[in-house]
Amino acid sequence: MLEIAGISKRFGALPVLREVSLSVAPGEVVVVIGPSGSGKTTLLRCINLLEDYESGTIAVDGEPIGYRLEGGTRIRMSERDIAAARAKIGMVFQSFNLFPHMSVLQNIVAAPVRVKGVPRARAEARAGELLAMVGLSDKSGEYPVRLSGGQQQRVAIARALAMEPKIMLFDEVTSALDPELVGEVLAAMRQLAQGGMTMVVVTHEMSFARDIADRIVFIDGGVIVEQGKPDEILFAPRTDRVRTFLKRYNDRYRI
Amino acid sequence: MNNLNPLIHSFPYLLRGAAMTMLMAASAVVPATILGVLLALLQVFGNRAVRAAVIAYLFLIRGIPLLVLLTFAYYLLPLTGIDLPPFWGVVLVIAFYYAAFMSEVFRAGILSLPQAQWDAARSLGMKRPLMLQIVILPQALRLAAPPFVSLCVSLVKATSLVSIVGLWELTMASREVVERTLAPFQVFIGAGAIYFCICYALALYGRHLERRVLHGH
Repeated sequence: MLEIAGISKRFGALPVLREVSLSVAPGEVVVVIGPSGSGKTTLLRCINLLEDYESGTIAVDGEPIGYRLEGGTRIRMSERDIAAARAKIGMVFQSFNLFPHMSVLQNIVAAPVRVKGVPRARAEARAGELLAMVGLSDKSGEYPVRLSGGQQQRVAIARALAMEPKIMLFDEVTSALDPELVGEVLAAMRQLAQGGMTMVVVTHEMSFARDIADRIVFIDGGVIVEQGKPDEILFAPRTDRVRTFLKRYNDRYRI
Repeated sequence: MNNLNPLIHSFPYLLRGAAMTMLMAASAVVPATILGVLLALLQVFGNRAVRAAVIAYLFLIRGIPLLVLLTFAYYLLPLTGIDLPPFWGVVLVIAFYYAAFMSEVFRAGILSLPQAQWDAARSLGMKRPLMLQIVILPQALRLAAPPFVSLCVSLVKATSLVSIVGLWELTMASREVVERTLAPFQVFIGAGAIYFCICYALALYGRHLERRVLHGH
């Protein structure tokens, strides 16, 4: 479903991703963990080309996004093709990023109607279903500023899903939330995972990671240090780096 | 000075001048705004050459007094063979002049939007024109509304300069009345009051917009 092949990226002189390769199967939920500055968010943003990368390729469902290889040379796709590829990838951000001048309903239907050309009535019906799924049926006329962080984030999930994406990317989506609002967002994500959605999730919520992940990938210093089943990574890590990370985490949060 | 008759008698005439002032200002503000948005977009999204050209234009225009530009156009336009009615000539000069200031106001509005809004729009597969149309500009123009209104106030007052090149509006009308009545104080107090009312109404509207921007959505 998702094929990341040897991507590297640097910010100036600082390498943030070094030859990272990762493939995600259809319906698989991959959770990416790692210390701050390890490159996990950057990796996620490279997938839909919100960040550019210097080498490597990424494909979703066999279709390249961003760069294609032609006879060994890497060619950047046109803005139009990149936009079309992004339309198939849903993304949810740490800071929600709803459009503040649009109502909840407008936020959700804008892209399906204007990007995919879905008839407005159908898009609104679908938005209604999605809002019901995230438990916000009564909020469709509200503006984002009147919603709590947890509600905004659930709208953001509905907005991404409205494009009927093949894969969903979650970038630390609970990090900006009050602790008591985290649960409602995680519940929506759990439901999505159970529905068979392919997901790549960057998170600091270890218990959630354990709960939802088919596979956990640990990134540090721009490389994948270790990956495997949640219980292997979280309870029987093979590398010292992961052990140290988890020990620090446990000392602070006690899962 | 204590005889208000000249003002009372000429007041309807001054109001007709004020109507012309408002017509002139309204005619200039529309192209100034459109050009201002365009220049702002070119400055944010244009390639290096386009940006350099826009910046050169802004520096040039902002460095020259409007009165000089008006006078210059007054002498230059006939030489170029462009046959514009004087009204439209000055409206265009005012529009090009204010467009330079407006473009900075709109540019600031665009740049003050968080990068996250762009990210969100991109991640939904929007291409740049659509992004601008439904995500960026609606928010940027709202942010730019208060300084935009104060530029409009300034533009209304700037129309008084066109009397220098012989166009009839409130200031010109006042001067005519003064020549007839020899009552400069009464008449110009009246003219000043009319300008004040127009601008105050605009400023109030600006405040109203500001409240909506800050507290609404």
